[in-house]
Amino acid sequence: MKKIVCTVAAALLPCGTASAQDAYVIGVSAAMTGPVAPNYAPVVEAMKAYLEHVNGRGGVNGKPVRVVVLDDQAQPSRAATNSKQLLAQDKVAMLLNVSLSSTYAPMIAESKRAGVPLFFAGAVCPKETYPPADPLQFCSTAFGANLDSQAALAFVRSNSREPVRLGLAAMAIPIARAEIDYAEELSKTLGMAPVEKQISPPPAPDYTPFATKLKEANPNWVWSWSPWVSQVRIFEAMRRLGWSGRYVTWAHLNAEEELARIRDGEFYVIGTNAFMEDSLPVHAEIRAIAARSRLDYPVSYLTEGFVAGLVVETALRNTAWPPTPEKVVNAMNHLKVDLRGLRGGPLEWTKDNHFRTRQYYRVWRWDPASNRIVRAQDWQAIDVKR
Amino acid sequence: MQLAVNIVVLASIYALICSGYVLIYRVSRVLSLAHGELMMLGAYGLYATASLFNGHPLLAVPAAGVLALLVGVAVYAALMWRMTGESVLAAVLATIALGILLRGAMILVFGTQTQHPLRDLGWSNASLAVGSARISAVGLALVLATALTYGALFAFLRGTRWGIRMRAAGQNPLLAAQRGIGLHGVYALAWGLATFTGGMAGMLIACDAGLEGTLVIVGLKAFPAALVGGLDSLAGALVGSLVVSAAEVLLIHYVDPLLSDVVPFVVLLAMLAVRPWGLLGTREQLDRV
Repeated sequence: MKKIVCTVAAALLPCGTASAQDAYVIGVSAAMTGPVAPNYAPVVEAMKAYLEHVNGRGGVNGKPVRVVVLDDQAQPSRAATNSKQLLAQDKVAMLLNVSLSSTYAPMIAESKRAGVPLFFAGAVCPKETYPPADPLQFCSTAFGANLDSQAALAFVRSNSREPVRLGLAAMAIPIARAEIDYAEELSKTLGMAPVEKQISPPPAPDYTPFATKLKEANPNWVWSWSPWVSQVRIFEAMRRLGWSGRYVTWAHLNAEEELARIRDGEFYVIGTNAFMEDSLPVHAEIRAIAARSRLDYPVSYLTEGFVAGLVVETALRNTAWPPTPEKVVNAMNHLKVDLRGLRGGPLEWTKDNHFRTRQYYRVWRWDPASNRIVRAQDWQAIDVKR
Repeated sequence: MQLAVNIVVLASIYALICSGYVLIYRVSRVLSLAHGELMMLGAYGLYATASLFNGHPLLAVPAAGVLALLVGVAVYAALMWRMTGESVLAAVLATIALGILLRGAMILVFGTQTQHPLRDLGWSNASLAVGSARISAVGLALVLATALTYGALFAFLRGTRWGIRMRAAGQNPLLAAQRGIGLHGVYALAWGLATFTGGMAGMLIACDAGLEGTLVIVGLKAFPAALVGGLDSLAGALVGSLVVSAAEVLLIHYVDPLLSDVVPFVVLLAMLAVRPWGLLGTREQLDRV
């Protein structure tokens, strides 16, 4: 509660006391409230908590990191205002976008005007972060267009004994539709038969009509890549209609919690972030920091935000004091972040590749026999090329 | 058969939501644009009572219903009674402001996480056979709740003293007041009942699909059905919901699922062009907001 008040109040009074002269200042425009906030607010809260932890250890290069968070409610006009304020008033050395893709254009314009790097964390990676990358745009978000479908369909193929009749499901938002269209074409090249594609509007009062048509096409696998609500409701509606096939979908922030709620042995989630179930040493640290910061979200939601925090910390550590946008961009252009097991390998940016040079995927499912989440496939790497 | 079940379930969702729009409009001529938010508040009420009466779902559900009713009365007492006698536009703007306030307040109090009230109640959403089709337990509950709600509302409005007072206040408030009917009491009851039915819709949708911020949009999606049926007619709300949901489900199945978002408004535009007061609405009650 206190955190939310602090975040909302950030529009008027930045939370934190360090001034631009004695701190690394980064500015975040995020969907902290509004209908899509559940996808973004945990990322910001976790990143802030991690950077507060870093400050508690003495900061970066002996200086604290000050995070100014402004709520854009996923509205482009607010994102534009936020960017202007962060650049002109707070003099940030790095802008972060943790919001819907509709907010990208105004933030990119302001970032270019000021020559300040724009880092997408927990938000969909724009294609400009892939090679050949835009000089000012960077991204650490787990999911990646096209690569996710490549990994998911590779998993489907390696786990199918019979011919694959593939169903596809997405929400009617541009990025999800484009990905599912890509998956449809890709599946044909992999020898699969795409039997039905359902695009549902955001949100639908009842997903059964969409699930009915998908079920009637009789797929033995379904791949869905969308916001969680659309992915899981289509699946649950199909199960209630008596469909018994296998469903693969993207592991969003809440995937671990949801696997335990749904408890279906043939519901697979594919993702690039380790689960708390893995119990890595870094997970103990995440739990401790979350408890100390009294975060409202389950710890399993926080990995993406910690990844962003590690990236910011490493980028600023490689930026000599006093920081300038040019120095920060230079540091981000040659970045290798040790993610300490939160992903399958380090996150590496080059001058040409601001997405990552290699993407690692893992697949999980609920195991009814052992009554817990198990790995259906361990890390598989895909090289990110031009 | 499955398509018919899908149409009935979707129509039930729309009809249950629409009953709130119609009740308030019919009695006080106010178009409540905070209905989606009040619906979501009702769902959060269930989430709260499910936590409060942990392990006692038969206590939690009625408590949530009573809470929704009281919230509606409180909204009238705290805000809408001041709009009595003011222009319709002022009252509509007040409901918009109320909606924005409620949205912010719900985020502050309940956070942004998706909640699952059905799980908190300790129940599961089983799949039931209806002939060759299937329906979820919550879907069936929605159909039954809608049937009971409309049956009870028809009986209440026609057969009880307070129901007749509500109809009288809706038809001619000045005359009703001169005959000794307390308009504030009638309006407060209308707001209470509307929030109760809307809240019930919110609770059932949240039980079926989880509770999150997008529930407000679902509340707005039902609005065309109320207009198609006629904003001052409960029977019209039923018919309008059936028309809109049938068009939606059939287009999803036979044409393109993307049309499901557009079709309620296409039906609405067609209706406004041909019969602006709706299928069963009253012609002279049509007003421009």
